[in-house]
Parts: sequence; structure tokens; C-alpha cells
Amino acid sequence: MKITKQDLKNISLLSKIKIDDETSSSLVQDLESILTMVNKMEELDTSKVNPLIHPIENTQTLREDKEKKDIKRDKLQELSKEKDSGFYITPKVIE
Amino acid sequence: MSELINLSLTDQIIGLADKSFSSKEITDAYLDEINNKKILNCFISVFEEESKEKALLADKNIANNKARPLEGIPIAHKDIFCIEDKKTTCGSKMLSNFISPYSSEVFTKLDSVGAITIGKTNMDEFAMGSSNETSFYGNVLNPINEKFSPGGSSGGSAAAVRANLCSFATATDTGGSIRQPASFCGVTGIKPTYGRVSRWGMIAFASSLDQAGVVTKNAQDAALALKYISGFDQKDSTSLNEEVKDFQKEVNLNQEHVIGVPKDLIENMKNNQVRDSFNEAISVLEKDGAKIEEINLPHIEYSLPAYYVIAPAECSANLARYDGIRFGHRSDDVSSLEELYVNSRTEGFGREVKNRIFIGTFCLSAGYYDAFYNKALKIRNLIKGDFDEAFRKVSAIAMPTCSSSSFELGSISDPVEMYEQDIYTIPANLAGLPALSIPSGKVDNMPVGLQLIGNYLEEGKILNLANKFQKLTDFHEFK
Repeated sequence: MKITKQDLKNISLLSKIKIDDETSSSLVQDLESILTMVNKMEELDTSKVNPLIHPIENTQTLREDKEKKDIKRDKLQELSKEKDSGFYITPKVIE
Repeated sequence: MSELINLSLTDQIIGLADKSFSSKEITDAYLDEINNKKILNCFISVFEEESKEKALLADKNIANNKARPLEGIPIAHKDIFCIEDKKTTCGSKMLSNFISPYSSEVFTKLDSVGAITIGKTNMDEFAMGSSNETSFYGNVLNPINEKFSPGGSSGGSAAAVRANLCSFATATDTGGSIRQPASFCGVTGIKPTYGRVSRWGMIAFASSLDQAGVVTKNAQDAALALKYISGFDQKDSTSLNEEVKDFQKEVNLNQEHVIGVPKDLIENMKNNQVRDSFNEAISVLEKDGAKIEEINLPHIEYSLPAYYVIAPAECSANLARYDGIRFGHRSDDVSSLEELYVNSRTEGFGREVKNRIFIGTFCLSAGYYDAFYNKALKIRNLIKGDFDEAFRKVSAIAMPTCSSSSFELGSISDPVEMYEQDIYTIPANLAGLPALSIPSGKVDNMPVGLQLIGNYLEEGKILNLANKFQKLTDFHEFK
């Protein structure tokens, strides 16, 4: 399977990770080799098989709708490099 | 060197209870040894002072007959488990500054029964790797031969147990990350049924595959350790609300076993030495009275391709949370919000993690979703069906843990060749089945493992079988 320059551009845009010119050729090589391995799936006819999203069915248990305070807000915000008065600070989004 | 560090977890508990030695003595002995063996790079963090203080408290509890089940036992946690107020890096630069604001359920459970967390073990970045070479903190060395890989991603945990730096370490397994390093380091490792152990506070890689487990010196210890981390947890929506049997009791019962051996898979193995070693291990169990049945797992060869769509797809979604804003690495070089996202992620993730995010992103993107992701989920169903069929007539399935023994660090650069390390371990993750690895021989002077896969919730049965094998052989003894 071939990865085009446009594919790389799309992947980079969607994943929000830069792909520089230096690594792009070895990256294409890696991705193509992984996708070639993955293409083995084509050998199987799965038209009559249902997808299995999760190995164990009937989990997804719901807990009671009660407020919990497992994680403290202040402690969480301490982890951010830039915050002010309980808000997270990012570069301006509106000019 | 103190002899205490050579003891098994079970013997350490007995020794502490009958006051043959103190928690302070074991803890000091391990801290010394961790210091002596720094070169192995097993730990990302070591909690020296805190462990010493906790050992003194444990000794008081023991003296006052208030000992809890793991009172005063030094253990190590893979650095994927959050511990409140402790650095939790997941082997990544992205989380090099992350001090967890809460604790994982695995840590909380072990802490509440008296275990002392002596440190946090090194691992492949975000648990993505099979050699420990993707860790931002440098690779771990295999204690048996330092030129070799300890396996991954729980390489730090497996190597720490093998090097006598602890008798029990926690670990996680998404595609083989407990069993493959256990095989490479000659220790015992078990990944229980998906949902058996809470994933709360365990940093996510691929949520439908990730499962916590343990690495120990033998099956007895694994049964004991697993008992204390298992159980329903409301905080994890995929946690199983099922009774946790006393694995420790079950491991010693006189159970009968019917072992399924996938004949085609064994016949098609490329490495004759690994195959011969596997066959010898099976004959040990057969001579002991286990019944051996040939089984077919017709879709198992499609596990690797299906896994390398599903795991990266889930990884790309899970790792979207690292945006540089709320926690994790934040780039200094930004002038817009977009740049904040892109630069923080580009600087914070290593090459292998990026590769998997890219593959996952590609497979989930418009036009490819059906051909890749949906197809892989359908194959996952076929693989689960193969196991369901096999478990109608057998109580355990045996196969080698890996296709080879450990390899030299730096010797594998092709990603697909590295992924093939997990060719025999991935199927159990796709189906959510419990599986373990025990040392079963040597190939090229390095250990190889026997993998035992059990039916859902039947961890006790495979631990029982593993214990039988270890009573008949000495491959699990460190010589």
C-alpha cells in the first residue's frame, strides 16, 4: 500500500503532529510496511461477520448519579503550565 | 548481599509473619540492590526515604498483630499506574512533569493491604514497544545478559523481578506487554481476563485491550499477588462485577486439565529450537496426567494485522488528550492555539508513539474506516469465535509466549519485525482472555516462556497448571 504526500499531510493535520521533511521518507517507509502487513486482512471474507467492538459484552455498568469529588480541581490545575484564577490560558483565538 | 532479596513473595510473607526478619531488613536490602544495579535502568523513580518510613510502620503493625495481608512487602509499580503526588511518566517526555493528582485503583488496593511501593518501573513509551527501547528514560537491560532486551513494554517490571530488586511488580498487557518480557527475563507474568482488574488511573493506550496484571518469581506468588488487585470497581465502566476466587487456594488444588495445542501454529513455527522446547514442556505436563488435545484456531494468523489496526486506532483517540494545555508537556515555542497543540505533541511524543498515532488516524479517517477499522473488528469476532469453539473441549490452551528468546538491544529496526514479537500473545488480548507466561526452557542461552491461555474468568485454572509445571521443573529458579 502506498502512502502519498497528500495522505501524510492529512494524517499530520488530523493528528496535530508535525511531519518534517527529514523524517518523512523513513516515516512513509514505516507506515507502508505496517499497512502492507495489515492488508493481509483482505484475504478473509467477512461480509457475514459482525464487528466485535469490545471483548466482554454487558459491561458498561452505570453508577448512581451522585456527585463525587475524587479529584480536586486545584490539584488538577496545578499541572498546567499556564493558568489564572482557575482558568487555563492558551494563546489568543480571536483577534 | 542480603539473602532476603532472593526469597519469593510467599516466603517473604511467611518470614515477616513469624518474625524471622523485619520489613526494614527487606526494604533496606532491596534499596541497596536497586542502587547496586542502577545500570539495568529498571526504575524511573525510587522512593527511598518514604519506603524506609513505611517499613518501620509495617514492623510496628506486625509487632502489634495488626498486619494486613501484604504488610511490609516492598513492591514496584509500572510507571503507568498513577500514584497521588508522585511523578507518573508512562515512559514519555510528554508526562515527564506529571505529578498525578489521584491514585490508580491498583495502587490503592495494594497500598490498603500494606504493600510498600519502593519505586516505579521503566517501560516503553505509553506501553508501545516490545523491547523497552522506546522509553524516553533509556532502555532497560536484561539482567541475564545486559546486551539483550528485557522485552516490553513492562520490561522494567520483569527485569526488576529477575534482578531481585523486588519479588512482585505490577505490569500491564495490551498485546503481550506482561507475557513477552516475562518470557525474555525468565519470570512468571499473568494478564487476567479483561475487566478483572480496574483500569482506573492506569494510563490508557488501547482501552478495549489494556489490562493490568502482575510479574512475580513463580505461579504461587502470581496467584497471591493477583488476588489483591482483582475485583469490581465502579470507577471503571468496563470492570467485571464477578466474584474473585481465591486464586491462592486454587493454585494448589488437584485439578485435572485438558490442554489444547494449536497444531498448525506449532508446525508452522520458524524457530525449531523454540518449537522443540515447547513440545518438551507439553510432554512434561502430559506425563503428569494432563490430557493433550489438538485444536484449530483458523483465524489466529490474522491477529497481528487486526491488532495493528485496532490498537493504533484506540491509541490515536486516547492520546488526543495530550494537548499541552491542562497537563503534560507544553511547548514554549508557540504563537497560536494550533501551534500549541502541534508543537507540544510533536515535541512530547517519541517516534514509535507517533507511528501508532499516524496509523490509527489513517485507519479511522474518511474513506478508510470500513476497509481497516471495521474489517479488523470483524476479524476480532472471528478470533474470539475460534477460542470459544476450542474452550468447548479444553480447559487451557498452550502455545509458546514468543517466537524466539530475547534479542540484542538495537538489533531490530523494522517496525513490523518488532511487532511480530507479539504474534502469539496478541490473540488473548483481542478475545479478552486470561493468559500467563512461565519460564519453560532456554534457547541460545536465554529463557523462553510457555504461554497458557484460559477461558474467561478462569485465571485460577491456568495458574494451577503453571504451578504444576513449576513443581516438576526448575526453569523458574534463578541460577
